[in-house]
Amino acid sequence: MKTLSLRNLGKTYFDPYAGAHVTAVHDVSLDVEPGEFISVVGPSGCGKTTILNMIAGFIPYSKGDILLDGKPVHGPGPERGVVFQSFALFPWKTVLDNVGFGPKMRGVPKAERDRIAREYLALAGLSHAAHRYPNELSGGMQQRVGVVRALANNPDVLLMDEPFASVDAQTRMTLQEELTRIWQERKPTVIFITHDVAEAVFLANRVVVLSKGRVLDEIAVDLPRPRVWDDLVRDDHFKQLSARVLQMVRAA
Amino acid sequence: MQVTGSLKGRSSRLIRSVNSLVGAAMFVAPLLALLAIWAIVVPLFNVNPRVFPSVGAVGAAALDSIRDGTLFAHVGASLLRVGLGTLIGIATAVPLGIAMGVSPTVAAFLTPLFRFFSVLAGIAWIPIATLWFGYGFGAIVFVIFNAVFFVVAYNTLLGVRTIPHTLRNAAASLGAGRWALLTEVLLPGALPNIVTGIRTGLGFAWRGLIAAEMIATNVGLGYMLFVARDFYRTEVIVFGMIVIGVLWLLIDRLLLVPLERATIERWGMVRRA
Ligand SMILES: Nc1ncnc2c1ncn2[C@@H]1O[C@H](COP(=O)(O)OP(=O)(O)O)[C@@H](O)[C@H]1O
Ligand SMILES: [Mg+2]
Repeated sequence: MKTLSLRNLGKTYFDPYAGAHVTAVHDVSLDVEPGEFISVVGPSGCGKTTILNMIAGFIPYSKGDILLDGKPVHGPGPERGVVFQSFALFPWKTVLDNVGFGPKMRGVPKAERDRIAREYLALAGLSHAAHRYPNELSGGMQQRVGVVRALANNPDVLLMDEPFASVDAQTRMTLQEELTRIWQERKPTVIFITHDVAEAVFLANRVVVLSKGRVLDEIAVDLPRPRVWDDLVRDDHFKQLSARVLQMVRAA
Repeated sequence: MQVTGSLKGRSSRLIRSVNSLVGAAMFVAPLLALLAIWAIVVPLFNVNPRVFPSVGAVGAAALDSIRDGTLFAHVGASLLRVGLGTLIGIATAVPLGIAMGVSPTVAAFLTPLFRFFSVLAGIAWIPIATLWFGYGFGAIVFVIFNAVFFVVAYNTLLGVRTIPHTLRNAAASLGAGRWALLTEVLLPGALPNIVTGIRTGLGFAWRGLIAAEMIATNVGLGYMLFVARDFYRTEVIVFGMIVIGVLWLLIDRLLLVPLERATIERWGMVRRA
């Protein structure tokens, strides 16, 4: 596992319609330790997606550095796994082949990558869906596939951009609980983007609050694990932490 | 749960097969009605066989051509030309369509040419094709190729453009290189459109084929019609027209429609208007 560092990261877009430059990210510095789960919250338009897309390598950055174990990253790569809000599963591949895609790209033979895929599907309670196509699954199940597809590739960092925003509230809570459970089992490094304060606190070791392209503040979350909603909705410490983060976001 | 599930499956399969039988019957009924009118009208008005043949004469012509093997020679020649022209068309159009789909520069440069040449696609090329390839196989295959090429390339371009960009990003962040991006994302993602393009292109090609064979060859279904005309053999002409129509329906229904369905519906990629 490797340390991820953002150093004075900045991004300026050129908006061809307005004919003007828009600075989405001004100056963001952040160090993420191996095995850390970081939530990034902030009001919409504060640059969350832009930061994540730069780390993923989908868009170039305008200034600063993104370092993985001290080495600068440019362009997408398998050491940075991504979970998309729109799931982004390959519609022409079965669930098994979607999850086995990363290993396939590494040249892992068919039998072995099927074994890996099955192991990860079991982790998400999806063994029964291995031979189905994505369009045959509910949104919640599709995103479970999205998460394990990224994990099955053993990335150094897992990047998630509001991955649960498009599923219903009940399913979202289940997915959040599953994600904390999987994280505890595998301890991947996670950067989780959300605008949902409770979600950010529930999942993370550390919540970073973003405002207008800058880091406003950050707060450690020392809640014990495993975390389940039934306990935390009544937990005073959880409520306090959430209230503090909410204050920061609203001040942002 | 299990039982109701399988019962449900069985009854829906039953409904589907009943539906397809009804569909087939509704497809055939008007054709049978036309046949009945033909069988009644021609003897009733004592139509001159040089103007239009009787059902019996066409049946006899059909039997003759089957018995002496000329039908199979014509059909075989036509199918070979269509098959070869289509294959060459697909093999060249798909790579070009993908290149256009991934590169806006290539697309911008080629689009005006495509607009221009897709108007000309098909039979307008027959005269110059015969100058280039001589009368016969090469000229006809070229005309078929031409009819397929532009439609398939354009549909491939559309297909690549409809692939959500996040899918390319997903593949890249899972370690896909350029080649894997092509084979694992762009080709399968564009496939439903490519198949639609092939279906449309083959429709043009089939019409082009008949026209080209009337001019540029001495075997094939188009030639069969054209020669029969010289001898006032209306029963051969009408029989040939029936073969051309039926063959196309068979190719379309038994090959192209199932192919389209397999790719589009399976993946839930139907883009209903
Ligand atoms: N491709 C782009 N071109 C121009 N401006 C953009 C582009 N993408 C995002 N922006 C602008 O950058 C700012 C930050 O956007 P984004 O990173 O999507 O924020 P968030 O994910 O926090 O809602 C917004 O003002 C947005 O309009
Ligand atoms: Mg966003």
